[in-house]
Amino acid sequence: MTLRRIFLAPAALVTIALFLVPMAIVLAYSLMTRGPYGGQGMPWTLENYQRFFDPLYGEILLRSFWIAGETTILCLVLGFPLAWFLSRSGKRRDLYLQLVMLPFWTSFLVRTYAWVFLLRDTGLFNTILLSLDLITEPIPLLYNHGAVLLGLVYCSLPLAILPIYSTLERLDYALVEAAADLGAKPFETFRKIVIPVSAPGLRAAAFLTFVPSLGTYLTSDLLGGGSTILIGNLVQNQFTTARDWPFGAAASLILMAIVLIGLVVVTRNNEDIL
Amino acid sequence: MNRRHFFLALSGLAGCTRNSRPRLNVINYSDYIAKDTIPNFEREFNVDVRYSAVIEGSEETIAKTMSGNSGWDVVFPENRLVFPMQEMSLLAPLDHSRLTNLNQLSARFRNPNWDRDLRWSVPYLWSCCGILCPRAASITSWRNLWNEQYRGKITMLDEPSEVFAACLKVLGHSINTDDPVQLRAAQKLAIDQKRYLRAYLNTEVRDQVASGDVQAAQLWQGSAQLTIDSAPRLHFVHPSEGYSLYCDCVAILAESKRQDLAHEFLNYLYRPAVAAANSRASRASSPCTNTNESVLASGEWFRTSSGPTQRLRDRLWTEIKSA
Repeated sequence: MTLRRIFLAPAALVTIALFLVPMAIVLAYSLMTRGPYGGQGMPWTLENYQRFFDPLYGEILLRSFWIAGETTILCLVLGFPLAWFLSRSGKRRDLYLQLVMLPFWTSFLVRTYAWVFLLRDTGLFNTILLSLDLITEPIPLLYNHGAVLLGLVYCSLPLAILPIYSTLERLDYALVEAAADLGAKPFETFRKIVIPVSAPGLRAAAFLTFVPSLGTYLTSDLLGGGSTILIGNLVQNQFTTARDWPFGAAASLILMAIVLIGLVVVTRNNEDIL
Repeated sequence: MNRRHFFLALSGLAGCTRNSRPRLNVINYSDYIAKDTIPNFEREFNVDVRYSAVIEGSEETIAKTMSGNSGWDVVFPENRLVFPMQEMSLLAPLDHSRLTNLNQLSARFRNPNWDRDLRWSVPYLWSCCGILCPRAASITSWRNLWNEQYRGKITMLDEPSEVFAACLKVLGHSINTDDPVQLRAAQKLAIDQKRYLRAYLNTEVRDQVASGDVQAAQLWQGSAQLTIDSAPRLHFVHPSEGYSLYCDCVAILAESKRQDLAHEFLNYLYRPAVAAANSRASRASSPCTNTNESVLASGEWFRTSSGPTQRLRDRLWTEIKSA
């Protein structure tokens, strides 16, 4: 028992020092008042939370949920066939898995900047299309909703593929064959056998793509050109230009609370997640 | 490597950090100092300088040092941040008897409105915000950036204070206005401009103006000049309605335990050769010369806005972005 405690102590210390303490500080800030020149001061107040209940911020929150939802659906739709292919690729499987994880070797910022170079008017895609005379004017690929969505899907896709792959890998292919032998059409087999078996992976994939996409602020700045504002940008602005740390802290805690509630509701009946 | 070697190596590493030379910690923006300024100082004064050029925006300086325990000695706050930082007791008072080279400063910068008598900071480099565009384009004013001809080819800075400054100047108001009516009028103008805009971009727009993707970009003069150096068909326009001026200052943090060395460093920065080299490298103007008087004449210095105005501006900015 004591030995067990000793071994658990470092992990517990790290969790407390690096997670709970900062969270407590954020909570405390969110209940304070902005100082005359930024920072935080007295008195204690709930005003920062009340301020968030404003249609302006509600709209930003909805927009963030919408784009995170789009990202999640696209990642699942694109990730599932890829995960299926991976789980059936026999000898080459390890190589393909390495390829899926390859993007993680480069910084997220560099990869996002790379998309700017590909998508801009004088970028690779427009240059090729122009030289093939397929278009006469560069098409605006960058700085719109589609570009942000592309960036988010691109960054989240590996996180969606891996959990789906890990459930599909354990799928007993005999079940699929048995279903076919018993007269099930391919789609019916997919719906009644493959989907239920891979459901835990799909749920994990959905969470791993949805939650980070919800808090994004770099992608919307770099690929969206800052023309729109997501909840992540709102929080960032409070800590930089607006210098309103208490409101920024309150906004990020509200976002975190919504995500946590969602997580609890979904996992209550599905303990297999993650 | 056996265990003994490993520990020997470890103790060697520890020895490296315990250097006998004093160390000065300086944090600044990128592209904002000449290459040999720091090495020459280290050699001459026999010290180490930990120089970090990671600051992206001026607000970051204040955010990084607000704790009062940041580990930095010398910082470069923008002029409008000097007063708030001093109010928050972050800055150390300057001892002018040790800053003899400040006699190099031009008269105009010895008593600026943001820090009378330079008690807390010294102007380091100043510049303004205008428009980077091709010489061939007939752009002379902010008003020209509301133009169907350039639809989708214009960018504004992703900085609320600069976007408001441009809109307020179009309307003939001060860039530092506290008047909600004027600020709302400026907001309306900014929302109206969105249909002509490609994006809100900061210095990353440089490549795209050089390549021709963007025809006109609101940009700081220093960054614009660095772009023009590589693309001479471009030029920088000082908009006819007026524009914002900013001055990055150098200051010593109150938390610094190396006040003497920090003063030496400040004094060193105002040697004529050093000041000139830094101005050349960053393409911003030195406060030690009297050139660019005409630029100063039509510009307006940013000032710290009050809490309520700052909050109104943030809300209006969020609405612009949401529109």
